[in-house]
Amino acid sequence: MPPPSKTSGKNLEAESILQAVVLADSFNERFRPITLDTPRCLLPLCNTPLIEYTLELLAVAGVQAVYLFCREHSETIKNYIKKSKWSRSYSPIKIITIVTPEARSVGDALRELDAKQLIDSDFILISGDVVSNIQLEKVLDAHRSLGESPIFVLDTKTNECVHCESVELYPRKRRMTMDMEVFKKHADVQIRNDLIDCQIDICSVEVPALFTENFDYQDIRNDFVHGILTSDLLGKTIYCHLVKDVYAARVRNLHTYNAISKDVLSRWTYPIVPDSNLQEGDSYEFMRGHIYKEKDVSLSRLIYVSIFEGLIIYVNNTYFFIISIRSCSLGEKVLIGAGTEIAENVKITNSVIGRRVTIGPNVEIDGAYIWDDVKIKSNCFIFRSILANNVVLEENVIVKRGCLLSYDVVIGPNVTLEPYTKLTKHKKTSESDNEGEESNENKAYDSTLIGEHGQGYIWSDKVSDTDDDEFDTKNIQIAGLAHDISNISLTDSDSPPSVIYESSSDELSDSGESTTEEESLKEFFKEVSQTLERAFLDGHAVEIASLELNTLRMASNTTFHDLRVGVIPTILGQIDIENLLTSAEEILEQWGPLIGKLIHSRQDQIDTLYILQDHCAITQHHAKLFAPTLKKLYLLDVLDEDAILEWNSSELADNDSSKSSIRKKVAPFVKWLEEAEVEDSDSDD
Amino acid sequence: MTGPRDLNAQIESLVNRLRRRQVVGSWCVSIETAMLLRQVVSATRWNQVETLIKVVKEDVGRRLVMAQPRELAVGNIVCRVLRLIREKIRTFSFYGGSGTGTNTQSSMINLLGDGSPMGAKRASPLIISELQEMINELENTYVNIIDQAMEHIHSNEIIMTVGKSRTVEMFLKTAAKKRKFSVLVAETFPTYLGHEMALSLSEAGIDTTVISDSAIFAVMSRVNKVIMGTHAVLANGGLISVSGAQMVATAAKHHSKPVVVCTGLYKLSPLYPYDEDSFNDLVAPDPVFSFNEGDLIDKVTLLNPYYDYVSPELVSLFITNTGGHPPSYLYRLINENYDPDDTDI
Repeated sequence: MPPPSKTSGKNLEAESILQAVVLADSFNERFRPITLDTPRCLLPLCNTPLIEYTLELLAVAGVQAVYLFCREHSETIKNYIKKSKWSRSYSPIKIITIVTPEARSVGDALRELDAKQLIDSDFILISGDVVSNIQLEKVLDAHRSLGESPIFVLDTKTNECVHCESVELYPRKRRMTMDMEVFKKHADVQIRNDLIDCQIDICSVEVPALFTENFDYQDIRNDFVHGILTSDLLGKTIYCHLVKDVYAARVRNLHTYNAISKDVLSRWTYPIVPDSNLQEGDSYEFMRGHIYKEKDVSLSRLIYVSIFEGLIIYVNNTYFFIISIRSCSLGEKVLIGAGTEIAENVKITNSVIGRRVTIGPNVEIDGAYIWDDVKIKSNCFIFRSILANNVVLEENVIVKRGCLLSYDVVIGPNVTLEPYTKLTKHKKTSESDNEGEESNENKAYDSTLIGEHGQGYIWSDKVSDTDDDEFDTKNIQIAGLAHDISNISLTDSDSPPSVIYESSSDELSDSGESTTEEESLKEFFKEVSQTLERAFLDGHAVEIASLELNTLRMASNTTFHDLRVGVIPTILGQIDIENLLTSAEEILEQWGPLIGKLIHSRQDQIDTLYILQDHCAITQHHAKLFAPTLKKLYLLDVLDEDAILEWNSSELADNDSSKSSIRKKVAPFVKWLEEAEVEDSDSDD
Repeated sequence: MTGPRDLNAQIESLVNRLRRRQVVGSWCVSIETAMLLRQVVSATRWNQVETLIKVVKEDVGRRLVMAQPRELAVGNIVCRVLRLIREKIRTFSFYGGSGTGTNTQSSMINLLGDGSPMGAKRASPLIISELQEMINELENTYVNIIDQAMEHIHSNEIIMTVGKSRTVEMFLKTAAKKRKFSVLVAETFPTYLGHEMALSLSEAGIDTTVISDSAIFAVMSRVNKVIMGTHAVLANGGLISVSGAQMVATAAKHHSKPVVVCTGLYKLSPLYPYDEDSFNDLVAPDPVFSFNEGDLIDKVTLLNPYYDYVSPELVSLFITNTGGHPPSYLYRLINENYDPDDTDI
């Protein structure tokens, strides 16, 4: 959990006030359709709006001025702040809301900040959905004195962050590249992927200015941090502050929403727990078994029958055996807001129930988030879903896992919602950013789906993620489904993984291969070969071709490895088999250097060799290409002898005859290399 | 005299600091509360005593108590201030002189009729000076307690303690100036406050040994007495003390060793515990079980109580700033310090 901080040698003045910039907009749509009505930072987590957690964190750190950036629903946020305790005259924090309707990313917001010239000292940059109990003071102190889980490479002595790479679940990353310079400069380097990036940044005054200069920066992590780290010109440094034994997490998607809620209920976030009553007027009390109840909750009979079932009462020398008391039972990790009424024979476990909710008899709720003023009538069953404000469930409704019912939706009676159904009162067609492919345009609600009295439309995720981190659709699926990752056959465990799993995303990805990823890769390979063929035809220079390929790589967010996988077969495909040697000589003389352009390290060279080997092992026909290609590439200095030797010494998969036959073909060449090596070292002596 | 707006800001600030646990330790909390209430009393304009009591009790007191219900010292101080106001008015009114706590109800009723602004004007400075006296007493709590150190610690004794308590620390250090004795400190998992305590004691030249919590029972037979601090003392004489204290006290009981509790009277609360969980605070389970265990944390319930409830039978003696008292005497102290009307704030 390291909030990287940026210093430029200029320290905070002791008397200047501490400022913070809170980004109230997430610049993405992962919480749709709920965020159509409410901004994300006002979504309730354990019945407290998310932004309260962030502001509380800042208040504890002694921040005096907060600039709140909003884009969508700015009026709602403004009103909320105006009414909250923060805007009282004697509130320790002054909150200034800034509306930037045109900002599309974090970068835009920071440029706006620079344009307005509001910041006059170092500041804390945080998004409006962070839940944490970090003692920011300590981090700030560290920042003053000195000046993700992604992979962070840190200098162990100074905690300077020298490299940072984000890891998405898809596409998988098996390698990362680092500049050799790094190792020259820093004797002691740590590479860690067990850290969670809690997205709290302490920035020096220059940061917004840097964003203005680099107008293409969108995201703090991917663009800014990377830009700073890779560019020598700027001469800025980023430090990480590692904090242990504290909790910090950001509500990025429904999945983390679920995980963080659970963590808050099981008190990992102490002292930010429901019974410390963050908001004024809250009156939560803690009870054994992580049950939090506000005052004025009426539970039927108030007996936790699950424990007392089959109670024996001894009165007047007679035993009365009470078989079962009909009442409601609360399991572990339950939070119930004020004014909620729960009828008899209701079972609730692992859930958050909002204020003024009425729950009818014989209802079972497990792992659900039920917000304020929801009405649930009898015999309903709700499993791992979110029910937003004012939702009404009529009798006999079954809500299966992962459902998301937005504001004011009515369901039922006698309906079963399939897993991962998203319902909203808004018609999809009114949204301009998605094609209105919804079938029931201007029609009444689909009563077969949501019941006779039902009100609401199906919301389908045509995700157009504006976050600019080019998301794999798979990632979105994981993020959105929230409640059960096992359903996408990633892990066997049925329990929703907690936030900490973000760091071990590599592991997760090992067990599942996605078709969507393959498709996008296929698409990419097709484009690569088309680009190359154009280059062959028009006789482009190697530099131009390489530039084009690189652009393509960046655009589709793939790795050099993928690029090589695409390029090498295409180039080899140009070689005329009939006239093998001369043709190979000719083609590679011209295009071999292009392969060289895609290779940056020894590891890359070996990777290239494997690609070559795999390609040539496809048919007997291809196999002929291998030896001449290898030789030519060696002569062109694309591959060096060490790499070839290392590749040759690596083990082959068992009984892979075609590959071993390829190895045999180049055996003389390898032998010659080995001898040359020995001679070399001999002559050195 | 401060304006009401400043006062509001001050109240808000204390409420927030209490809630965020930025003021910690019963002593600091009580001093801050007392100072704030002094301000409130001096800023409030009142003609009838019930107005003042209402302001102190409902407007300010309740907010402070609600801000941090587990910090019983806040409620204690509010109660003491209320008692003080009632007492002062009682002696000040024309029934004054005779009424000292015995005929509470009748004198109060009479008093409420006496709504002359003149009376209020004259009573107000008296109440404030009384409050100041209380603050002074709070400030001198430690001195009064450690003065008794010599009576309780004798040469060559082996004393066991648990957790880190400022009172106990000063108590032992004072005794160490004249007497030679050794101290066993239980390390007090998971906070390891015992380590800090041991370090501080050994720096003062006391022969100190840290023992693991599991060794408490084993070494108890060699110990002469257990001296420990507490977070709060409840009306029945039970303690809300650092987790581990219950084990130490039970072990001491088994070996018939005296358990001596050093505490200021400000920690004495008029509240009764209705079960072991009341007034306890469950903190993040992180030190007990790392979050990195991943899978498992979803499947188990982790509790990390910060405090233990030690029942009064296990305590032999309270050393307070007004001298040593057995647990059975506490009801008397409560009657002296708090008014029954104010128990429920």
